[in-house]
Amino acid sequence: MQKLFNEIHEAWLATQFTGFMSQTQSRQELYEFSNILFKHLTWIENDFTKQGLSYSYDIAHVPVKVSHISVMIHNIVQRLTAIESQLDLCGDEHITFRMRSDLRYMKSALEKLPEEEVVSAFDAKREYGNIELTSEAKDALTLFLFEESYKEYELIMVYNYSKANSKDAFLNRIFQILIDESFFHLRSFGQMMAQMGILSVPRSLMEEIYKFDDLEQFLKDGIQEEIGAKEECKKLADAVSSSSEHFADFFTFINNQENYHIALMEEALEYIAKK
Amino acid sequence: MTADARLIEHMMNPRNYGKMEDSDSLGMGKNPQNGEKVAIFLKVKKEDDPVIEEISFQAIGCSTTIVAGSLITDEAKGMHFSRAEELVSATLGMLDQQTPEDAACTEMVALALKASLDTYVERQKDSDFPMISYHVSTDCTPKEENENAETL
Repeated sequence: MQKLFNEIHEAWLATQFTGFMSQTQSRQELYEFSNILFKHLTWIENDFTKQGLSYSYDIAHVPVKVSHISVMIHNIVQRLTAIESQLDLCGDEHITFRMRSDLRYMKSALEKLPEEEVVSAFDAKREYGNIELTSEAKDALTLFLFEESYKEYELIMVYNYSKANSKDAFLNRIFQILIDESFFHLRSFGQMMAQMGILSVPRSLMEEIYKFDDLEQFLKDGIQEEIGAKEECKKLADAVSSSSEHFADFFTFINNQENYHIALMEEALEYIAKK
Repeated sequence: MTADARLIEHMMNPRNYGKMEDSDSLGMGKNPQNGEKVAIFLKVKKEDDPVIEEISFQAIGCSTTIVAGSLITDEAKGMHFSRAEELVSATLGMLDQQTPEDAACTEMVALALKASLDTYVERQKDSDFPMISYHVSTDCTPKEENENAETL
């Protein structure tokens, strides 16, 4: 089951990041399919927790550097076929029925997606459309995108693990909002990375990042990290403001969104304290 | 850290990243200031001067740590332990050429490698010897923040 779980995790990331490299309507379809695969991941995870089995998010690196999108589509179809072949390992026949149906449909739809040249997503040119960036702004943006794309992936998995292993409806509502927020940020940053020619899948997580004992401390640290991220966004908005008003506005927007994440974590802390 | 083409390549595709299930040794470098850490796994060929056959790392840290981990593990792969010790010493000896933030990350990786080498050596004498962890000595607070703190 752990192998099946890992392969779904890897297929989800492969599909999501192929969506980032697409510049056509295929992007939306790949986003939808990656959502479905993430849902499959949570189904299998739920099966693990129901059976009281331990599991991990320790996955192999997912290579995505290709010149044409058809190479990734072929790779994703192969991944989905491998998942299909292992579904009987999951004891819940309702889950496997639903997954089989989704996988069959996705495979047939993926094979119909048009060809696209995607080499610019990996050329490391670090140019962004017609926007002229100074070399300092390019460096700041590059480092920010690498740091934050990993961070958003980490947050998705941390809150997902916490949600899967908690029966507390109040906390789970907060975890789900934070997961959704991180998905939005990951997609924004992933698209920017592809545009800059530096697209890559974040590294896998160390187990102790998501398997922690002290939720209260985790949330306190999380608030400090969000404050740090706000500061980074502000610095970045200042660094790129002379080059692009659009970028400056975007990072101010992201900065302000962090306030909501902090408020949610404070709400969770308050709730834990009352309990 | 400035993002030149070589560093971007290591950020996009870090070498030797990931957990090694059947490792002969594991060592840890930690930064108690911010909770960051690096784990280095080794697969070792037994000789009088043992050889690093396989090496991998995992990290809770920033991009600088990942780049340092990628570069140092790439360099160490295939080395005899004596050469790897020299690599650790040389790396630690050049920390003052980096910014404090970058130096702390590089030191953490070098110490993780040293910890893994030392753990292996100790385990040849006692197979139950626990994993060794070393803490960084570099203060990773940017200079201007330190200066502000002193002024206050």
